[in-house]
Amino acid sequence: MSKSKTNGRYSLELLFGSKARVKILKFMFRNYPGDVSIKDLTNRIQEPHQTVKKEVELLHSIGLLKKT
Amino acid sequence: MAKDKNHKHILRKRKIASRRVVSRKHVAKIPKVKMPHYVLNSNYEFYDELKGLILKSSPAEIDRMINRITSLGKIRLAIISGLFLNESTGGEIADLFIVGDDISKDRLRTFLKALEAEVGKEIKFSLMDKDEFQYRYGMFDRFVRVLLEGPHEKIINKLGI
Repeated sequence: MSKSKTNGRYSLELLFGSKARVKILKFMFRNYPGDVSIKDLTNRIQEPHQTVKKEVELLHSIGLLKKT
Repeated sequence: MAKDKNHKHILRKRKIASRRVVSRKHVAKIPKVKMPHYVLNSNYEFYDELKGLILKSSPAEIDRMINRITSLGKIRLAIISGLFLNESTGGEIADLFIVGDDISKDRLRTFLKALEAEVGKEIKFSLMDKDEFQYRYGMFDRFVRVLLEGPHEKIINKLGI
């Protein structure tokens, strides 16, 4: 593993500028091709509903997420 | 006689009431709108690149895990392997191994449930108390040996191993 473990752990969150966004992406990629509602996602990654909703809508607007 | 009549009346009332509940449930089902579900769009321009980047990182935040494990009881050792490491082959003996005493079963259950929800997969979990672990460690027990010789990370280590 990398030498600077502590920095490494947060680097993606810092790079993406949002902890929730990284968590959503992690969850979606690890569970691909599973689909999920905002409510389920909120429960699973344990982030505020409003934040999750905002991030999902952003990811949807850039075309990374699609509605099923 | 009068008492009996009264009783029948109550019975009838109750029947009507229960019927009403059933019908209300039935009505409630109709306007239920299906929540929109989202899935990754594999046609996204940077899909593969992003996938590589995201999957390279650990599925759960290790620092938060350490805090939650510490609050379960007197924790001496916590090892993550398999699922939580990127070099996972899938054949690991355990994903999470905890050695500790006075562990709250309720908290442990809640913790594992939350962790599994977050990871989205079933976690292979194992728990031992300190005496059992030291006995097994001393006699080169297969489980302990396989775990410690394979890829793993000790996120809590108060035993100095």
